[in-house]
Amino acid sequence: MPSAAISDAQLIARVLVHDDRHAFGELVRRYQSAVRASLRRLTGGNHALADDLAQETFLLAYRNLRSFRQEAKFSTWLYRIAYNAFLADARKMKELPLPEDFEVDDAAQSDPDEPTPVARSAALKLDLERAMAVLSDAERAAIVQCYHNDLSHEEAAYVLGCPVGTVKTHILRAKQKLKARLAGWGPEG
Amino acid sequence: MVSDAGSNGDWLEQALRADALEPSTYVADDGFTARVLERLPQPAALPAWRRPVVTLLWLVLAGAVLAALPGLFYDVFRGLVATLAAQPVRLPQIAIALAVLGALAWSSLVYAMREE
Repeated sequence: MPSAAISDAQLIARVLVHDDRHAFGELVRRYQSAVRASLRRLTGGNHALADDLAQETFLLAYRNLRSFRQEAKFSTWLYRIAYNAFLADARKMKELPLPEDFEVDDAAQSDPDEPTPVARSAALKLDLERAMAVLSDAERAAIVQCYHNDLSHEEAAYVLGCPVGTVKTHILRAKQKLKARLAGWGPEG
Repeated sequence: MVSDAGSNGDWLEQALRADALEPSTYVADDGFTARVLERLPQPAALPAWRRPVVTLLWLVLAGAVLAALPGLFYDVFRGLVATLAAQPVRLPQIAIALAVLGALAWSSLVYAMREE
């Protein structure tokens, strides 16, 4: 029975050599939270879509496990597959018209003058989530990879399939947009 | 690992890092792993014709070995016939022998054709 003491590499070897479904299940259990959380952020909080894409991610990982060369961490490789699945879905969705009631909530910004630090922090978190919606897919993806998935710029570039400089540019632009959007939360706000 | 995304330590940087560290970002499994495992492709099964063909090849090989040893085969056959001819064989004994041979042949066939 696979346990936490068994490394990712050993589990992967079991899957490749013996087609060990239990070993693959252990890999899924280890990374499902990170992958699903990452996709939930990429999809702007659409949990159902994120979970569908997460399932697709793990199925693709299973089918292509032989191509995993261990040049990157297994989690980074999964993030890359997840991001590609998200991009493919986003391209499909762009071909469909947006629903008539779709709008970015411009008036959603909360009152920063909350009475307690806890409430203030919660309000900032909420506003931050809403502000992420104004970012482009690429900018949001760069923020998700570098902050929420805690990847370096180089790892994020691998996941996003673009040069490191592009990642830095996306993050810079994303932060400019977020700052403008959340101006009321800044020291001058 | 600390991400190198931005290093100016401003309020937005802090907010993004705090947001990323929220414990609520852990997503409970809730059957997700089981659903993924259900959707995995079925394990590759051996083709159905493989086992009969292997059995047939073994029979051919056994026949070839017997044919390669004509003297031995002849001696064994002649001894067997002589033994049987010397015995007074009755109809029930023949029926029992046929039943035993049939059972052996049937069980060998079932074993050879069984599913893994």
